[in-house]
Amino acid sequence: MTTTAERQMELTLPMVADIEIAAARAAGNLAREIGMSAEKIDEMAHAIIEACINAREHSCCVDNRIYLRFVGTLQGVGNPRVDIWITDHGRGFDLIEARTRRQKLGTAYKRGRGIQLMEAHMDEVEIITSAEGTTVHMVKLENAKAGNHD
Amino acid sequence: MTEELRVVVERRPAGAILYTRGYINNVGGEEIANRAYELMDDNVRAILLNLRETKIVNSIGISILIEIIEKMMDKGGRISFCCLTPVIHKTFQIMGLANYATIFDSEDAALKELNLHNQ
Repeated sequence: MTTTAERQMELTLPMVADIEIAAARAAGNLAREIGMSAEKIDEMAHAIIEACINAREHSCCVDNRIYLRFVGTLQGVGNPRVDIWITDHGRGFDLIEARTRRQKLGTAYKRGRGIQLMEAHMDEVEIITSAEGTTVHMVKLENAKAGNHD
Repeated sequence: MTEELRVVVERRPAGAILYTRGYINNVGGEEIANRAYELMDDNVRAILLNLRETKIVNSIGISILIEIIEKMMDKGGRISFCCLTPVIHKTFQIMGLANYATIFDSEDAALKELNLHNQ
């Protein structure tokens, strides 16, 4: 199946209140241009919002910036795909601890559900985190059954 | 940039309806909480949140909504929601909020079930 990169966008945003909305809108515009449906864009927006909030609230980075990259591709007719990378240069976090905490505490624990929401709203989520920073790579497909090109 | 949340409160004989407009984040969640706690202090025990004009929520805002639900449950009351977008509905289910609050598709259905009609 032929895959072509239709749209690419890179943004560097300051870590200020509600900046996640700007990130979600930018990705939404790119996704809309390659034909992604409104509901899929809405799901993607909520995942981006959670990733940006995590970066802003927990990374403790010195540069106070979030680095975003969006790539929109078409995998055949009517199957847009958007790849999203959201990076901060903060201190990273213990991913295993974060996942364990949410499973142990369940619904009674009201915070720390951002990763769970990202995974629920996106088709793929990969988190690479270290003491030098964190990158969240997420993929949204219009038609998940059609597969991906990785 | 800021998507400030607006809340309109409509009192009914048997409770109240809160209409939200905008982003339910930490600030928006606190705004809803303030209105809800005022109503609870005034012995209102049935609150319907109509989210028709809210298109985006985040996990912090939802955590505050869960706190409101818990506080109302402690008082023997009930919080309900209506008119959610599909993604917000899905998000509420993931966050566990749907376990403690009824979610109605329409305001009419909610008003009927909660007996919140004006007369």
